[in-house]
Amino acid sequence: MKRSTTILSALILVLAVVSMAFAAEGNARKGKYLYRQKCRACHGATASDLSPNSKTQAEWKKAFAKPEALKCFKDWKGVTPEEKNDIFAYLHDFAKDSPSPAKCN
Amino acid sequence: MSNINISRRDFLRLAGAAVTATAATAAQAALPQQAQAAGSAKAPEWESKFGVCDMCFNRCGLIARVERGVIKKLDPNPKFAKSRGMLCARGNAGVDQVYDPDRVKTPMLRVGQRGEGKWKSIGWDEALDLCAAKMKDIAEKHTRCGMLFSAGADTQSQFVNRFAEAYGSYNVTSHESLCLLSGSRAFVDTFGDVPQPDVKNSKYVILAGANRMEALVTPDSMDLMAIMRQGAKVVVLDPRYTKSAALASEWHAIKPGTDMAFMLACAHVIITEKLYDQAFVAERTSGFDKLAAHVAQLTPQWAEGETGIPAADIARIARELAAAAPASMVYPGRRTSDYENSTQIRRSFAIVNALLGNWDRPGGLVPARPTGLKKVPFEAPFYDDNPPGRVDMKSVPLLFDDEGSFVITRENVIKGAPYPLKGWFVYKTNPMATAPDRKKTREMIDKLDFMVVVDITMSDTAWMADLVLPAPSALERQDPVQALQSGAEGACLVWRDPVIAPLHQSRPVFEILKALSAKLGFPEAFDFDIAKYRELQLAALPEAAGILKRDGVYYPPNPPLGGTDGQPFKTPSAKIELYSNRYAEMGLEALPVYQPPKTGGEAGRRFRLVAGRSACVTQASSTNNALLSEFEPENTLWLNEDAARELGVGQGDVVEVESPAGKGQLKALVTPKIRKDTVYMLSGFGSVSGGLSRTKGVGASIVEILESRFDAICGNSAIHETFVSVKKKGAA
Repeated sequence: MKRSTTILSALILVLAVVSMAFAAEGNARKGKYLYRQKCRACHGATASDLSPNSKTQAEWKKAFAKPEALKCFKDWKGVTPEEKNDIFAYLHDFAKDSPSPAKCN
Repeated sequence: MSNINISRRDFLRLAGAAVTATAATAAQAALPQQAQAAGSAKAPEWESKFGVCDMCFNRCGLIARVERGVIKKLDPNPKFAKSRGMLCARGNAGVDQVYDPDRVKTPMLRVGQRGEGKWKSIGWDEALDLCAAKMKDIAEKHTRCGMLFSAGADTQSQFVNRFAEAYGSYNVTSHESLCLLSGSRAFVDTFGDVPQPDVKNSKYVILAGANRMEALVTPDSMDLMAIMRQGAKVVVLDPRYTKSAALASEWHAIKPGTDMAFMLACAHVIITEKLYDQAFVAERTSGFDKLAAHVAQLTPQWAEGETGIPAADIARIARELAAAAPASMVYPGRRTSDYENSTQIRRSFAIVNALLGNWDRPGGLVPARPTGLKKVPFEAPFYDDNPPGRVDMKSVPLLFDDEGSFVITRENVIKGAPYPLKGWFVYKTNPMATAPDRKKTREMIDKLDFMVVVDITMSDTAWMADLVLPAPSALERQDPVQALQSGAEGACLVWRDPVIAPLHQSRPVFEILKALSAKLGFPEAFDFDIAKYRELQLAALPEAAGILKRDGVYYPPNPPLGGTDGQPFKTPSAKIELYSNRYAEMGLEALPVYQPPKTGGEAGRRFRLVAGRSACVTQASSTNNALLSEFEPENTLWLNEDAARELGVGQGDVVEVESPAGKGQLKALVTPKIRKDTVYMLSGFGSVSGGLSRTKGVGASIVEILESRFDAICGNSAIHETFVSVKKKGAA
C-alpha cells in the first residue's frame, strides 16, 4: 500500500511536470483577457501592481506548479484548468526575462 | 580614406542650422507672461504658452509666443533640462507645420482610382460612419485580425494600440520595426533591458552607426559637444564624413557592414590584455570564457582587413575605452535597421559595454529611470474566432510581439497568408516613404478593402488611402502625460495643452477613436477624456499636475545610480549574457559570429546605398516644411570624387541610381566625404503625393530604390543591404 502510494505520488508529480510543460502551450492572448477578468480585481486596479513583468519565467513556473501555496488560491475557484493554462501562458510568455517582456511603467 | 581632409570652415558652411540651436537667450524672453508683467516694462502683446515640440520624437519643451491667436515664434523652455534649454532648427520650424497650406483641412474621401488623387471633402459624421461600417464589415468577413493598425511615434499613439486591442486585432505595428528594433533586441537579449546612455558623465564614447550631431537625440547631441570641451574623447566610425565625424575627436571611415569586426577586435584587446572589469565580469556576466575563446583569434590585425581601420588604431581605441571605464561606452545608438544580422552586430556593441563594467555607472549605460506614471487599465474583450496570433507570427525567431515587423507583415498581406488582412488604420506614420521597396507597400495597399489615414498632411501613405482624416498639429491639442528618459539625470514628464484652437476641421486621433469605439460597441474602452486620463496616469504623483502647469515639465524622484548593484539582470541566467543560452537553444549563434558583408558588383551595382540624416530633416515628416526646405530643398546623391571621375559624373549632374528594387534620379554631390564603395541620400524626397507641394517629384525616393530586407532575428527592416549602380543621366 505504501509502495503504491509512493508510485502514485511519483506519477502525480510526473503528470504535474508534464502538464506544466504543456501549460506554456496555453493561449497567451486569451490568458491576458482572463487575467484581467479573474485576477486583476485583487492584483491591482492600476495594472501596475502585478503584471507578467513582475516575475521571471522560472518564478511564474514555480508559482503555477503549486498554486495552492499562493495566498490568493482560495479565490481561484472559478478558474478552469484550461483557463489556468492560458493565464500561465500569458504571464510566462511576457515575463520580465522573456524574449518579449510586457511593457510596464 | 582616413586622410579625408575637410576644413572646419567647410563644415560650418555646410552645417547651416544643423547642430546650432536657439539658445534660451534672455531669461526675460523665456518667462511666461504674468512674470513679465510684474516688472516695470510694458507687458508684451503676445501670450506665452508651454508646448511640446513634435518635429521629431524627442519632444522638447517649448514656449509658444502667441499674438492674437496666431503662433509667431517658438522658443525653448529653459526649465526643460533634457534639451539643455535649446530648440533645434526643426523645432523652430514647427510654426510652419501649423500654418502649412498643405495641411489636410477636412475629411477626404477618395473618389478616383487609388493613388490618382481625386478626392471629395466630406463631413465628420459621414467619415466616421463610413470608417465604422468598413471596420465592422472586415471583422465579420475576415475576423478582427483582418484589420492592421499602424501608429507612429506620437503621444496619442497609445490610444491606437488601446483601440486595436478593444476592437480585437493583434496586428499592430509601430515605427520601431522600421527603426530601432535590432538594437532593442540585442540589449534585451544581453542585458535584459534597453539601457540609456549617460553621455553627460562619460569620458570616452564610440559612436558607431550613429550620427548624433545630425540625428539629434536630446540631451546626447548637446552633451557630446559639452564633454569634448571637458576633455572627453568621441570616436566616430562612419563611411561618411558626417557632422558627427567633423566634430568628433577622431573619425574612421569604416567599411560599411564591418562594425562587428571592430567590436570583436576591441573585445579581443580588452580580454587578452586583461583590461576588463574583472570583478564585474565575474559577478555579473555569464559566458565570459566562451567569449574569450571566441575572440581569441579576432585580433586588430584581422579587423584591419575587414574594416579598413589600421590595427594600431583599433588596439589603441580599445585600450583608451577600457582606461576610461566605467565612464566610457560604445554608444548603443537608435536606428539599427541596417543589416540582416543587425541584432548580432548590436550584440557585439552590448558585449563590449559589459566588459567595461559601465552598467548603472555615471558615464556608462544606465537602466531606464523610474517615471512614476500609472497605466490606465481597461478590459478588452476576447474573440474566439480570431486566428492564434499576429499575421507575422513565428516569421523570425524573436519577434517582439507588441511591435511585430512591418516588412514581414507587408509580405504576408500581399500573400494573404497565414490569413487575409484587408483593412488598415494608419496614424501619423508613413510607410510609403519610410519602408524599403515602395512598390511592395503599394502592392500591399492594393490588396486592401479599406484604408484610413489620420495625419496632418496628405503624406504619400495618405495619398493611397480611401479615407483621410485631418489631425491637428501638436500645438493644437491636449495630450496625455508622456515620460521622456534622459540618461542618469532621470526621466521627465510632459503634457500638451492647446496653444491655439485646432485649425480647419482637424480632430485629434483620440477623439476619432473614442467616436469609433462607441459606434463599434466598445465605448467602455474610451470612457474618459484626456484630463481624466492624465489624472489616472499621475495618481501616484499628486504634485505633478501643478508643476506641469507652472513649468511645462515635471521631474519625478530619481534614485541615485547603482541601485541595481547586486540585483539580478532580467535575463534567463540573471546575468549579462555574453553568451546567450537562449540563442543556443533556438539554434542561433550564441555569440556574435562575424560574417563579411556582401559585396556588390552585379550588373554594375558597385555601391552600397546607406541612409542617414540631416539635422533639418525628420524623414518624410519634415521635408515639406516651408522653412526646413530652405535648408534641404532636395536630396542629392553623395558620390565619392574618384568614383565620380570614373563614371564621368560632374558636380550637380543628374544621375540615375538603380537597384533590383527600383530607380531614381537626383543630382550628384561629388565629394571626398564618402567612401568610394558607398553612396548616400536623404530620405523624405521623391514623394508621390499631390498634397506635398515641395517634395512631390523632387529628388529621388530612397524607398523606391531600397530592397526589402529584414533582420533575421527580429524582423527589423535592413536598409543598408542594397547595392546600386550610378550613371549620369542619358549615359549608356
